[in-house]
Amino acid sequence: MTSFLQNLVNAMQWGSFYALIALGYSMVYGVLMLFNFAHGDIFMVGAYIGFFVSSGLIALSALGSLVLPSWLILSITILLAMFLTSFVGMLLERVGYRPLRSAPRASAAITGLMIGIILETGNLALLGAQRYKFPALIESTTYNLGGVFITNKKILIVFVSLLLMFALHQFVQRTKWGMAMRAMAYDYIVVPLMGVPINTIALLTFALGSALAAAAGILFGIAYPVLDPYMGILYGWKAFVAAILGGRGSIIGAALAGFLLGFIEIFVAAFISSTLRDLIAYSIILLILTFRPHGFFGEAYSARLRL
Amino acid sequence: MSLLQIEKMTHYFGGLRAVHDYNLEIEPGQIRGLIGPNGAGKTTIFNLITGIYSPTEGRIHLEGKDLIGLQPHQVASLGLGRTFQNLRLWRHMTVLEHVMQARYSKLTYGVVGALLGTPKRYRQEAESERIAYELLDLVGVKHLADQVVINLPYGAQRRVEMARALAIEPKILFLDEPTAGMNLEELSQIMETIRRIHNEFDLTIFLIEHRMKFVMELCDVIQTLVFGEVIAEGTPEAIQNNPEVIDAYLGKEIET
Amino acid sequence: MEESITKPSTSRSTWVNRWQLFWGSFSGVPILGWLIGILGAVALEQLFGSAFAQLLGLSKVPVLFGFVIMLGHPRLIPGTLIYLLVIYALPIGIITQVGKSLTNKLAGYLLKFHLGISALVHIGLLFLVLHLWADISDYRDLVLRLTLIAIILTLSLNIVNGYLGEFSCSHPGFMALGAYAASVLTVLLFVEDKVFGSPLLAPNIGPFLFPIVLILAGLIAAIGALLVAIPSFRTRGDYLAIISLAFLFIVKSLIENLEIFGGSRGFMNQPNWANLSTVFVWTMLCIWTINNFVTSTMGKALNAVRDEETAANAMSVNTRRTKIIGFMFAAFWAGIAGGLFAHVMRYVNPGTFGIQKLAEVLAMVYFGGLNSVVGSIVGAVGFNLLSEALRPLELYKWIIIPLLLILVMLYRPSGLISFREFNIANLLKPKSTSDEEVEHVVTSD
Repeated sequence: MTSFLQNLVNAMQWGSFYALIALGYSMVYGVLMLFNFAHGDIFMVGAYIGFFVSSGLIALSALGSLVLPSWLILSITILLAMFLTSFVGMLLERVGYRPLRSAPRASAAITGLMIGIILETGNLALLGAQRYKFPALIESTTYNLGGVFITNKKILIVFVSLLLMFALHQFVQRTKWGMAMRAMAYDYIVVPLMGVPINTIALLTFALGSALAAAAGILFGIAYPVLDPYMGILYGWKAFVAAILGGRGSIIGAALAGFLLGFIEIFVAAFISSTLRDLIAYSIILLILTFRPHGFFGEAYSARLRL
Repeated sequence: MSLLQIEKMTHYFGGLRAVHDYNLEIEPGQIRGLIGPNGAGKTTIFNLITGIYSPTEGRIHLEGKDLIGLQPHQVASLGLGRTFQNLRLWRHMTVLEHVMQARYSKLTYGVVGALLGTPKRYRQEAESERIAYELLDLVGVKHLADQVVINLPYGAQRRVEMARALAIEPKILFLDEPTAGMNLEELSQIMETIRRIHNEFDLTIFLIEHRMKFVMELCDVIQTLVFGEVIAEGTPEAIQNNPEVIDAYLGKEIET
Repeated sequence: MEESITKPSTSRSTWVNRWQLFWGSFSGVPILGWLIGILGAVALEQLFGSAFAQLLGLSKVPVLFGFVIMLGHPRLIPGTLIYLLVIYALPIGIITQVGKSLTNKLAGYLLKFHLGISALVHIGLLFLVLHLWADISDYRDLVLRLTLIAIILTLSLNIVNGYLGEFSCSHPGFMALGAYAASVLTVLLFVEDKVFGSPLLAPNIGPFLFPIVLILAGLIAAIGALLVAIPSFRTRGDYLAIISLAFLFIVKSLIENLEIFGGSRGFMNQPNWANLSTVFVWTMLCIWTINNFVTSTMGKALNAVRDEETAANAMSVNTRRTKIIGFMFAAFWAGIAGGLFAHVMRYVNPGTFGIQKLAEVLAMVYFGGLNSVVGSIVGAVGFNLLSEALRPLELYKWIIIPLLLILVMLYRPSGLISFREFNIANLLKPKSTSDEEVEHVVTSD
């Protein structure tokens, strides 16, 4: 039982990363009907931006010119990195995707794939092959709750993730812009004709998704400090599958599917074998999609990558 | 024996009854019409007969063969050709390719023949091409054979759909609003084309149409459908004078 | 042209004029002439290339048209250019020009005799050219074989992503199935191996049974394709893309977990049977069957299903059968490509068949052009040559190539040569500067 609970805690953390990344995929997919294959690499870029922001702040503190408490450094890092990464996302939309908006969707998907490769290679070219270690922003403390070990990092990661998801949900449900996004997701063709500014909405969608990916990147860096230019490929594609599994444009669906994927992976690794993790996870996904071909919350909508 | 025989066909979409107790008997060589206001279920009836939907109840027989449960392509290869109300063409294919494609079920060279390019394949494809040109000539778009179909004007696209439906060698041809979106001049041309098709192959035709003049001139027997039920069936004169039909449908048309 | 007539005095237009005249004289050269010309150049290189390269101060023959040398050592650019001019450009130019009338007559004669024979002669010449070209260095040989395999892969993916219009991501998975199936079969049957023990059959008959092994590998991949094809009855487009992606990950993970095949460490010891001629023959077979398929009504049914499935069904096209054939046929060739790949590299590991491979194959298909056999050939050859030529740029190669592809997507969203099929008779026919000659050759019978 304790091992089950222990794994549950681990799965919550692991699922948080997938859920946060999946949200970005899902929003772009829902609003613009686009596979943004570069999103995993936005996650990577976000983690690196977070690394530089936090390292910079720590260096300033060390010099004594700007002494900040560590919780403040963490908060500033997350917010600033989210802010900066959202511009990367907007740039991506403006340069890579907007010119292709009327082109076949498959072409845009290929473009995204290529932008992803450019981001990875660009990272390697700029920063070299050495691995950067994410600075320890919080002192690690472990609590023992009846045999289940919970670190304050895990609590922080799950808490921040859930907070961001809640904030996104509120934004999409309550605000005018959120409503416009939902309208676009409902009808991609007609809604822009009714005065909803498609370019602004597209930028907003990319900005939000990228900000969430940046948050995921930093939280990931807190849990697993070694950064890798290819971390986006490793986790991004899985999150992508989760996003689609959640159902087209469904925020709750994407988050749930992200957590589900985290749970499956952690529990398979814990109770069966870590080498079988992918095999079982994807087999389950394949099975789900066979019986619910439109995901958890997707309507029977035969979206097609038109040529 | 009648060519197409439908008995007590009923269909529900979820809880909504779209077609109720529909009966039809078509004799070889007839031109039959199906009229009715928008949303009466006319296209649904076409879709039920051609196998796109499977009826909740009822029997459908083509020359004594049961059509219930067959896939649309099976129904088509038994000899039931159709056109669509909103054109359904293949946007990247040429006119000639459209017509040749509809001969799919007539080709017997199989996958191996296709891959290896056997003489049989070339023979059958050549035969197919010859027939396709004849049909294109018949409907009057032979000169457009090499055009990609989306570049064509609307009227020509309708004709391509007709030639395509004829290429499956139908025993009966279903036309779903063949004059939709056409002006008066095109209307008389398409009517003439339908007559020509009818005479050439002594082909049985079943058509849905909104334009009364067209239906009345062309059809031998007309059914009137309102809310999924046939309220009247008979010759054009009988339909024109049927008070129920005038009430439900025609009245407005004639006055305008 | 008109401009140059009205203003003959300006030197620029004279140059343009001369240039046009120069190129115009090449437009009358048939494919046969080009092949013979290139054959001459390649033979010249075979005989004197190495000596000439040394004379120019190059350490060895420029293996890939000098790109690698020129990008790596700018100092050697003049020498390399002279080499290219003397060994390639001049002989090709001279032979094609001198032999123009002869090759045109020959091409016309061959075509009149029999289209198949004419095609075989052309393919034979092409093989001779490639063989001589690759004979000079192992590097060329390897690049060439991998490029030919890339053609098979690209063409087969084009069947699903182009002709059938699905966005399938499972192609590296089919390739992996084929690669492992073929490797296991050859090693089990014909090779002394630590895991599988002594060969079950006499190793010397192996090369003769290798085609059967490859076909089996293709069939195994095709059976795997059913897992993607059957869901495609119910769902299409985006969800099928995810299903195919999941399939890819499942195959990769499955192989990683099969310790008997080496797990994630990989599988080696494949016999060296995938030489240039084997790969060439399979590539030609692939192009031939796929071209036959997509030009038949049976194959065009894929397009009908893609463009308007309901109409296809109502026009007697068996849509399920069509999808199954499309997926299985594509997977079959991907499997064969995998089998050949494994025997070229003589080592495979599951990591080869991941997202990177997927990105590469997709890039080749969309670069070359959807729904086109020529497009796929151009895509595969272009991508591979580019990728090799830019090798000296190291990391920056992977910025330049994606950028190029993005440009292609921006200006030609469905690829360089899309929705176009080639007509073999048209391709092989004699060409002439005066049209009447062509008419005469083609219509005289």
